[in-house]
Amino acid sequence: MKQREYLWAYSFIAAPILGFLLFAFIPLSYSVYVSFTDYSGYQTPVFNGGDNYVKLVQDELFWKTLRNTLYSALSIPIGMICSLGFATALNQKIRGIRFFRTMFFLPTISSVIALTLLWKWIFNDTYGLLNHLLELIGIQGPAWLSSERWAMPAMIIQGVWSGLGINIVLYLAALQGVPRSFYEAAEIDGANGWQRFRHITVPCISPTTLYILITAIIGALQDYPRFQIMTEGGPNYSTTTIVYYLFQNAFRYMNMGFASSMAWILGFIILAVTLLNFYFSRRWVHYE
Amino acid sequence: MNAPKRNSGKVLLLSLSVALLTGGLAGCGNSKKEAEAGNNPDAGGQVKIQFAGWGDPSEKEVFTKLIQSFEKANPTIKVDYLHIPSGDYVGKMNTILAGGNAPDVLYVPDGDFGRWVSQDLLLPIGDLVKNSSIDTADMWASGLDRYRYDGSANGQGELYALPKDIGPHVLYYNKDIFSKMNVPFLSAEKPMSMEQLLDTAKKLTVSKNGKTTQYGMGPVWWEDFVLAHGGKFLSDNKQEFTGNSQETIDALQFAADLTNKHGVVPSSAALKDLNDSEMFKTGKLAMMVSGRWMVPEFRKLGFDWDVAPLSGKDWGGISGSVGLAIYSKTKHVEAAYKLVEYLGGPEGQREQSLMGFSIPSFKSMASTDVFLQPGQKPEHAEVFIQAVEKQVSGPWTALPNAKWYDLLAQGLAPMWEGKKSAADVLNELKPKIDAAIKEGNSGLFK
Repeated sequence: MKQREYLWAYSFIAAPILGFLLFAFIPLSYSVYVSFTDYSGYQTPVFNGGDNYVKLVQDELFWKTLRNTLYSALSIPIGMICSLGFATALNQKIRGIRFFRTMFFLPTISSVIALTLLWKWIFNDTYGLLNHLLELIGIQGPAWLSSERWAMPAMIIQGVWSGLGINIVLYLAALQGVPRSFYEAAEIDGANGWQRFRHITVPCISPTTLYILITAIIGALQDYPRFQIMTEGGPNYSTTTIVYYLFQNAFRYMNMGFASSMAWILGFIILAVTLLNFYFSRRWVHYE
Repeated sequence: MNAPKRNSGKVLLLSLSVALLTGGLAGCGNSKKEAEAGNNPDAGGQVKIQFAGWGDPSEKEVFTKLIQSFEKANPTIKVDYLHIPSGDYVGKMNTILAGGNAPDVLYVPDGDFGRWVSQDLLLPIGDLVKNSSIDTADMWASGLDRYRYDGSANGQGELYALPKDIGPHVLYYNKDIFSKMNVPFLSAEKPMSMEQLLDTAKKLTVSKNGKTTQYGMGPVWWEDFVLAHGGKFLSDNKQEFTGNSQETIDALQFAADLTNKHGVVPSSAALKDLNDSEMFKTGKLAMMVSGRWMVPEFRKLGFDWDVAPLSGKDWGGISGSVGLAIYSKTKHVEAAYKLVEYLGGPEGQREQSLMGFSIPSFKSMASTDVFLQPGQKPEHAEVFIQAVEKQVSGPWTALPNAKWYDLLAQGLAPMWEGKKSAADVLNELKPKIDAAIKEGNSGLFK
């Protein structure tokens, strides 16, 4: 009888395991191999030892795009503060709150391409919305996307905005899970609004903060389509992220081996950052 | 106690995976057989080939029609037209080509030609062309030659594609603005010199309270400027970057000055976030650089416009092109070539030209009403013929590996922003670009 149950159990888990083997493990192992070869993507790979990794370390653009990626990750803390602010506001009992919640979530379900094109217009230096608004308060806005200094800040602004929807929803759910009795107790003890927020809300929603932080970091380290559409990585590679550079090496310069080695380095960076995150999370994340 | 169970589990897992794998393999086998059956002439002697391309809806319509008439003329060949949106095309095709089962006939953008041909993905078609009805002597040489590859660089050697189209740049101008501002119309025969161009653009620029409401000219194509004024990007053997020569430096500095010093071209390096044809259509630009493909759209405009040659001595303009190539592993060379011959030959060229967006690949056809289309704008359509005679392919087609060109295009940014001189920028780029040429194009240095 028990035998039979095991049989069923194994046959149920077989599908995802096989799926993992076929579509993740085998391709991943193959890409480890490819990262040690000279491989154009179309012809047979030729083993070349650690050449790709040596070249990578010496590649100026690799370091530049890595720095760009970390710079673009500034959108994470800014975005998290903004979404917590909005979520707190959207957590109030006011008229039409559903409407506002929908509005804030809308960007999340819209097409990346369409939104990116919209932002391209917003950032246009001559006819764009942003510079028009700046002009109203007397500031001459820069040529956002075509200026080496301002292109990345522009991409960060757009990144913050596009991440808002989903993070607000997550924070809203977390905020609603904070027990009312905590606040009531604190109120009796005479805590003011800020103290309640600082000492009750923030610790209570810290697991959500950790979740957002980790997924956002992984997302930011892998971000590139919006860069490709909005700036094509320019000007002067100021908005080329590491994955965009990886993509160019793989599909524009026919250097699949080099691209694979880059992917693995990136993979390890992501792994390290995530582990560090978990490690430090013990100090500030509170589970009930 | 546990051991036997675990074993049975393992056995099950193993057998399941074996079943799945063999099932998968069997599936592959079947589909392959089917594909072959579809590809080989069946009882009716029919061959089925696949053709991949992109294009806006009007181009899709023309090609659907062309394919229908092709099938009528060749009842033994069936064409499966795979239409991929243009933005996705190269990315998708890269994946399809890497997968090893690509369409028999495919569009090849001239900038991607080098990469694909150097990877043995395209079939040489020189002999097929020679033995067919295509008269290559009647074709624009630069249109055809960019689809040659000699094993190391593009532009010479064996032929691998026929041009589907070629579009050299010309200067479009808004005649209404010229009349209003009392500026004489541009000559359709004689190109302006750099000084004349700047002078004309200055006259056509209107500023109010320090804000420019009308620009003399649209964003410049720096490659045009460099080549038109005697500059070069690569040495003759293509092994070295020569973009720091005095001619190139002068031309680029002039182009950057148009914006930064003279203010006759919009924005700093706003080539990317500024759509020049939209500005031209709304009367904010008096002149702009573009190719024949704008004609159908501009014909709908409410004002009068015409075309003139680009500035520069004896210069036609850079041209973009798309080629029609055959996948190297196709099983149906004959049928595939028949389609290439049809689309790249007189019938296909005729239909495309009639629509107004392209210039026929054949000299004899270009001088007929099929292309000139009297009574329709532009009045001086022969400017395009003048341009196509002297056109050159863009520097992006010169080498299979494009990294050198990306480094150049990206690296010019400080110059467009007016932070550095053209000379400084180009001299700094030279060693990096030389290294990229060497690293990416080992075939050149053998």
